[in-house]
Amino acid sequence: MTRTILVAGSGGVGKTTLSAALGVAAARAGGQVLVLTVDPAKRLADALGMVQLGNLPTATTQKGLSAAMLDSSAAWDALVDRHAPPDVAERLHESPYFRAIADRFPAGQSYAACEQMADHIDERTWDVVIVDTPPAGGGIDFFQAPGRVRRLVGGRLLRWLTGASLPGRRRLYSFTARPALRLADAIVGGPLLEEVAEFLLDLRSLYDGVSRRARQIDRQLKRAKTVVVTTAHPSPLVEAARFFTELPETAGLPTSVVFNRALPAEWASPTVAGSGVLADNLKRWGAESQRQLDARSAFAAQHGIEPAVVPWMADAPTSISELGELVESAQGLDLTALGISS
Amino acid sequence: MAASLRWQRVFERHLLIVTGKGGTGRSALSAALAIKAARQGQRVLAVAMTDVLGLALHLGVTQLHYEPQQTRPGVWALAIDRTAALDEYIHLQLHLPRAAPLKPVARTFSALADTVPGIRDAVTVGKISWESWSDDWDLIVADGPPLGQIDSYLKAPASIAALVPSGRVQEQATRMAELLADPDESGLVVTTLAEELPVIETNEHLAQIDEERTCQLATLIVNGLLPSLDAEAPDDPGPLRDSAVLHHQLHQGQQRWLGELPDGIQLPYLFGMLTPTEVAARLADELP
Repeated sequence: MTRTILVAGSGGVGKTTLSAALGVAAARAGGQVLVLTVDPAKRLADALGMVQLGNLPTATTQKGLSAAMLDSSAAWDALVDRHAPPDVAERLHESPYFRAIADRFPAGQSYAACEQMADHIDERTWDVVIVDTPPAGGGIDFFQAPGRVRRLVGGRLLRWLTGASLPGRRRLYSFTARPALRLADAIVGGPLLEEVAEFLLDLRSLYDGVSRRARQIDRQLKRAKTVVVTTAHPSPLVEAARFFTELPETAGLPTSVVFNRALPAEWASPTVAGSGVLADNLKRWGAESQRQLDARSAFAAQHGIEPAVVPWMADAPTSISELGELVESAQGLDLTALGISS
Repeated sequence: MAASLRWQRVFERHLLIVTGKGGTGRSALSAALAIKAARQGQRVLAVAMTDVLGLALHLGVTQLHYEPQQTRPGVWALAIDRTAALDEYIHLQLHLPRAAPLKPVARTFSALADTVPGIRDAVTVGKISWESWSDDWDLIVADGPPLGQIDSYLKAPASIAALVPSGRVQEQATRMAELLADPDESGLVVTTLAEELPVIETNEHLAQIDEERTCQLATLIVNGLLPSLDAEAPDDPGPLRDSAVLHHQLHQGQQRWLGELPDGIQLPYLFGMLTPTEVAARLADELP
């Protein structure tokens, strides 16, 4: 069975690079490995020895390692083509509401990424799939997306508008007979509610397909190992903590927490003799290192997990070998617990 | 326009919306801007548009509510609760008759807001607009959504106005769009870091903001800049050398990416031992 590793956390903490580095480590341990990334970072494609990342898995210069992008823009259209009858699909593709949902529904892009992840897992050609998850909502959106989309398509509004579980199209046209809706219709100044109801009725035809798929995805998310990436800065730390307080409903607790951009611990209490520009420089970085140590021990105490630490490198890895070194330089990262082992 | 000239005009506006790529310090900067304006004697309302916790922590409180609460002299804060904002919209903004069956209408709107995403964004922007039209505040600082989502919020009033043929909702939405577009009233504060991905994404969005004019740029703020280190790294191995090497490398990288950005207000990297509240206060000190 395909092992899945989800690399999560808020934006700008180094998820994409760490995902690629874990991919290199997994491929070196043997087996076929796929890294899926949301970020079209050209530098990362370069580092993997690829001209550019596309939507289809493409081999990298590391034996056994392929990579692909998660492209959410086309995913909603694909969703419709897959789950709706042809005539309904055509109406949905043209609908302004559908475009709005595809572009702006908060869970939309995350759900599209989930579907693509599931497709790749279903290919059964991969021993390990590593997902660089979208940072929306501090990263936790990805895990909640299937449920949210299922509820959206399930048509709470439609049921409310029509007062029935699933009405025929004919009943729809009489719904404004209800006083509250007549008032609402007067406020929005026209046939908006009716149009929306028609749209929702079309969307409702996706329900069975999406519902089944969303439950499969939920199961895949539950089976996956999660690595939460953070830095010692307050905002990413708050988001990282949410994976321990809010995640258990949709997935298991994170297997690992990685503090990225860590300074050497020995700088924290430097025995610097003398003064001068260089000594002052070490002192301020020492203060930074101390803050990082404090943040890590506070996190460990609060969530009962010993964080792994990846050193701060001024330049991002530019090659497969540098990506490999990144995993080797990580302290306390238990690859076996993640299902990566030789 | 030069950054210093832009900056002089920043606090003359009534509404500042802070946005930026994730991890570039949006909430810290929102809090700092609010604190700075309050120090200048303004009565300021800070608003959490999407993420509540970040702004709360940087203002030194554990939670924010829909009712404004005072967090320090001159600074009040609230978090937008979509349901409460919808309720306020239906009751106060649409001036519904008393006898109207408000509860079912509210439920319809709430469900609509889940389905037509422009409504959710418009109600969020709406709450900020109502506050800015009230006489209670000299300045509203909104801790906005990330750069990738700001466009859909800014466009929401106009797209609602286009979607809804007539009536009170349409009038309101048009007025909101006008408020956002008026450079004397409103402006965007964009935060960024001098690193590859933030710089690339920021430049893309700045071009878009400039082109679309749904809300104009008030100022760009480049966060976390390291000072230059005026000494070579010594030859002897050890922390003294390693810290100097790391500093030089990071500083060089930042200067390279800084060169790719348009003129902006530059803020220093804050070393060590800082809580979110301290960060906000220090950034307020550092703002010109």
